[in-house]
Amino acid sequence: MNRASLHFLLAALIAIALPLFMRSGTLASEVLIFAMAAAACNLLLGYTGLLSFGQGIFFGLGSYAAGLTLLHTSLPLALALVLSAITGAVVATGVGWLSIRRQGVYFVMLTLAFSQFFYFLAYTFKDITGGDNGLLNIPRPAIGPFSLGDSWTYYGFVAVLFLLLFAALQRVASSTFGRTLLAVRDNEERARAIGFPVRDFKITAFAISGAVTGLAGALHALLIGVAPLSNIEYHMSESILIMTIIGGTGNLFASVLGAGFYVIVSDLLSSIWPRWLLLLGGLLIVVALFMQKGLWGLLERLVEALPMGRKSSTKSSIEAPIQPESQGRGI
Amino acid sequence: MIYLFQLVNGIGLGMLYFLLAVGLSIIFGLLHFVNFAHGAFYLLGAYFVYDMTERGLNFWAALLMAPFIVAGLAALTESVLLRRIYHLPHTFHILVTVGLALMVQELVIILWGPVGGNVSTPSALSGVLMLGDFIYPQYRLFVIGLTLVLAIGLWWLLEGTRLGAVVRAGSESTDMVSLLGIDILRVNTAVFALGAGLAGLAGALAAPIRGVEPFMGVEALGIAFVVVVIGGMGSYTGALIAGLLVGIVQSIMTTLWPEGARLMIYLGMGLVILTMPRGLLGRA
Repeated sequence: MNRASLHFLLAALIAIALPLFMRSGTLASEVLIFAMAAAACNLLLGYTGLLSFGQGIFFGLGSYAAGLTLLHTSLPLALALVLSAITGAVVATGVGWLSIRRQGVYFVMLTLAFSQFFYFLAYTFKDITGGDNGLLNIPRPAIGPFSLGDSWTYYGFVAVLFLLLFAALQRVASSTFGRTLLAVRDNEERARAIGFPVRDFKITAFAISGAVTGLAGALHALLIGVAPLSNIEYHMSESILIMTIIGGTGNLFASVLGAGFYVIVSDLLSSIWPRWLLLLGGLLIVVALFMQKGLWGLLERLVEALPMGRKSSTKSSIEAPIQPESQGRGI
Repeated sequence: MIYLFQLVNGIGLGMLYFLLAVGLSIIFGLLHFVNFAHGAFYLLGAYFVYDMTERGLNFWAALLMAPFIVAGLAALTESVLLRRIYHLPHTFHILVTVGLALMVQELVIILWGPVGGNVSTPSALSGVLMLGDFIYPQYRLFVIGLTLVLAIGLWWLLEGTRLGAVVRAGSESTDMVSLLGIDILRVNTAVFALGAGLAGLAGALAAPIRGVEPFMGVEALGIAFVVVVIGGMGSYTGALIAGLLVGIVQSIMTTLWPEGARLMIYLGMGLVILTMPRGLLGRA
């Protein structure tokens, strides 16, 4: 079995296992929704080397697009979801096109500034977005013959979409396109010199990432029946990025781990102590200092430590070496 | 007259943005380090002044002490933690400083509550200045005056002193500077503390104008990034011009379209990037 199939199997196992171990269908759906968003973020960070602080833009706009469609039109659910994916893709193309004009740190700062821009945009046009209150009472219509009213039925729907998208992202990552993204990440100058249209590739990666994130945002709005302002806030971009890095940027399945860890632990901690973000902050520092390959790296080390698991420990081939800082100096 | 009022307001605001952004800019220039915790130092500066004046301490004493406490904390953070991660890729710089910013924000909420509060203007400057029809709060004029003096002082520090020369040389090549026998680790700490102290001072000065609340740090970080993107990273003059520009645009827009004032800042940034990808005065 090759690595991609193994990772897909693991993702499917998680989708099947969540209902067995979790009591809340809402929380379980949240895990898979953020797993999609984190995997889309990973396509940019892990595969293209673009650290985007703007994933919340696409997530939030996806929420609004789905909410507005379902509130103001009688279009079916599937079309609302497609519309949010398109919204995410279009806006991500624009944000990507502008942001990649600068590299390295400037790129990161630009994406963050754009996320502030879209936040204020949503905040300013209260008539459309509901401002601070968010878009309320978003219906969750049936899809074909299936009513999605029950939270576990909805989970089933999310799980199917999650697996489809996960497989699609895997296809993208292993395609010639995905391989070229890795080349761009590892040495952009060389990729350009060889003749790859680096700029177009980066923008395409953005568009794909935006589409998936927009869809995840739509599913989230349907899940809670609201498209809240917080879905487009700085904090959302930050959370998606944190999930991705905590999971590890080596492969797409790592993002599923990261999202699951983040959503479940934050649910657990926030019910115990409202100031749990303090602990999360500490955890981020620990990850940066001691767990640079994230949860996936930890898992790999565990599997290697097991005597029977030694042969199946597959070093992921896309793993970027931790580069010395001098690489980043030129920006 | 309202526009003149808002223009002066904008200059005051812009000078605070300059203090905030220039700290970020020199830290990046020397250390090649993106400090996502920069807003947290601004937040701390504001809250230290708030706390000290709440305890009955004189505002001026609080204003003097707060930036130095912030700088001290920053020096400690740099030498204990950040120094260990300079060699890692930017992703980890961001992860660690985002973590620090979260911790500071949550600590502020634990210590002072989620609501925030007001810092009253010192009594000596609580009045207004009247020049014919033009009426203006004295404290805001004081802020403009003080930040101007500081801007000149900082320029002299960077251009006219030995430390400034080391910082500028270090921005070109850290290795060469250490080969020349300069203790670059101490310079790094000093520069980090200076940048953070400036952010703390901006927060302290802003406290009587805008009050304090736990999320002002995130907002300040966004503004500082915009100023640096517009002005060009590592450029003192760029930070000054961009800071003033952002401050004035925001103030004037507050009169024309209050809800959209902050939106305009980010729109302006988009336009600059579109027309001048390197920023107004950026070197690279």
